[in-house]
Amino acid sequence: MSEPFDPADVTWTRVSPRLAAARITTTSIVFGVPLLILVVVAVLTGEPWVWLPVAVLAAVLLWLVLLIGRQVRAIGYAERADDLLVRRGIMFRELVVVPYGRMQYVDVSAGPLARKFGIAAVQLHTASPATTATIDGLAPEEAARLRERLASRGEARLAGL
Amino acid sequence: MTTDDVRANSATTGGPTGPVPAAVTDAAAEAAADAAVAAERVDATAWRRMHPVTPAIKAWKVFVAVLAIVGYQLLDNLDALEQVRHVWLVLVAALVAVGLVGLVYSALAWRSTRFAVTDDAVHLRSGVLFRQQRQARLDRLQAVDVVQPLLARLVGLSELKLEVAGGAGSAVSLAFLKEDDAEVLRAELLALAAGLQRPHAVRAEAEPEALPAALPRAAFADAPERAMYEVPMPRLLVATLRSGAMVGLAVLAVGAVVVSILSRDVGAAFVLVPGLFASAGFIWTRINQGASFRAALSPDGIRLRHGLTESRAQTVPPGRVQAIRLSQSPWWRARDWWRIEINVAGYGHGEDQARETVLHPVATLEEAMVAVWLVLPDLGVDSPQATLDAALHGRDQDGGFTAAPRAARWVDPIGWRRHGVLVTERALLARSGRVFRQLDVVPHERTQSLGLAQGPLQRRLGLASFVVHSTPGPVSPSVAHLDAKVAAALLDEQAARARTARAAAVPEQWMTGPSA
Repeated sequence: MSEPFDPADVTWTRVSPRLAAARITTTSIVFGVPLLILVVVAVLTGEPWVWLPVAVLAAVLLWLVLLIGRQVRAIGYAERADDLLVRRGIMFRELVVVPYGRMQYVDVSAGPLARKFGIAAVQLHTASPATTATIDGLAPEEAARLRERLASRGEARLAGL
Repeated sequence: MTTDDVRANSATTGGPTGPVPAAVTDAAAEAAADAAVAAERVDATAWRRMHPVTPAIKAWKVFVAVLAIVGYQLLDNLDALEQVRHVWLVLVAALVAVGLVGLVYSALAWRSTRFAVTDDAVHLRSGVLFRQQRQARLDRLQAVDVVQPLLARLVGLSELKLEVAGGAGSAVSLAFLKEDDAEVLRAELLALAAGLQRPHAVRAEAEPEALPAALPRAAFADAPERAMYEVPMPRLLVATLRSGAMVGLAVLAVGAVVVSILSRDVGAAFVLVPGLFASAGFIWTRINQGASFRAALSPDGIRLRHGLTESRAQTVPPGRVQAIRLSQSPWWRARDWWRIEINVAGYGHGEDQARETVLHPVATLEEAMVAVWLVLPDLGVDSPQATLDAALHGRDQDGGFTAAPRAARWVDPIGWRRHGVLVTERALLARSGRVFRQLDVVPHERTQSLGLAQGPLQRRLGLASFVVHSTPGPVSPSVAHLDAKVAAALLDEQAARARTARAAAVPEQWMTGPSA
């Protein structure tokens, strides 16, 4: 059952795998620090049951790392003649269609970690706050190209509210 | 954020420019018009002040707010208070001081506030310490409201509010003006926004002295209007009493009685007190806002007038309504009453949302159809009555709807037969809810973007939910649990349909005709 989220005439562009690396880094920091503390506590106390939360935490971390890789591979976007498609999610799938004429403005953003990994995020804004068209994990030059492209296409298909 | 901010934003990010009249496809001409607006200089004589009584009313508001907070605090510490000597003298002195500070500040604010209306925009200068100049383009005007809070109403003043689609706090508020001046100004703004030309003789005749207190003269007559419906007070009262709040209260009351009998302790009845306050508040708000609700149609758009203590006269120009929602709770089903709400860009920010976005607080079936007709004169079907009837009451394939498949009963066992969608030539109708019935109508040319969502359970059952993104407001249209293939096809078709509808849409300046 992949058809609804994978129309036949659309070729998806995937985002950079560096996004996965960036997200794994954040997750590792969030989970790694408590993990380390727990390990130290377990070693110092020598109580065997302290290793239980360590194992649980490690399992969760491993699962998240595997999941992030798949999640990033599931993100895709496609530029069609009149609209932009963005899809994401494996368990909870989402597909958004944004007509170029409806775009109010485009945001390009990159935090310090994202810059380190050489990725940027492009977000499209329409007059509706419900439009969740964010493409994360683009190479900076691809982000710039996409921004220019969207801007010029939006210009050509201007519409009011 | 004003429209200018939006424009500046788009300029810095290199994105597309802000909303622009659909009819103007020539980007060069549009850019020229922008430059003209930006370069336009406001005549020094065009600047006007608010009414001189404004500071008193605004100071009173501050005073009441402070009084409420302080009073609440003091009630908690009555014992401590009694140890201070000359308690009442101190209190009165403090109150007078607060009132004076409020008055002085409001007077300063009034002194630095000025506004001007030109052919293309409304300019507002304000701010005591931090000066602000705001410019709202009239071709971006989404709605014009004349609001009269109780006190202003007593002294014959009103506030004129211009909504532009710039997000929270983007409205231009001209408070307070003389009632007549506000009416004249509203007519003028709507006429200019509609694309009518200002008769030049009138403009030149503006008095030469700086800041004339009164408007020169009515340049435009108020557009004629035709009354469409009004809500009788008895119906509003009955409808408000037959609401979830009252049902909840009744359940609570029965529960309290049972508990106090079982426990032989009357104290249990006190659990009712917060619930009582909450429902009294709810009922008062509903009645206060819906009292003497009247709707009329004029060439300037839909006119709504309502309010008991604070009266509000709204004008929503044609094509500004982004989506409509009709909803019915089970307690209204016997009478077949409907509450009708709308999305208008600019409305629905802050505490005013519930006041601004109601098209009809309690409509009979006929009135509901009239209300939908007000917004969408052409529903795009042969028999709008039959279609709406099926949409409001029907289930499955009634009225030509595409319904959710049988598999949907696993995810929504009660309401699955009501989930459905109908696409007409002009609009998309999304039907849902079996106990709490609901119908959302979105004109094709008002669709912002579209979405498809699918959870793990839905995937197993071959279902998907279809979402239409609209501007902020009470209406968030979606059709849950459609067949996945149907939903995907709908997404594709709807994108194309919205595109063609936009190309043929009414121009933003609604009096200029489609070839503007």
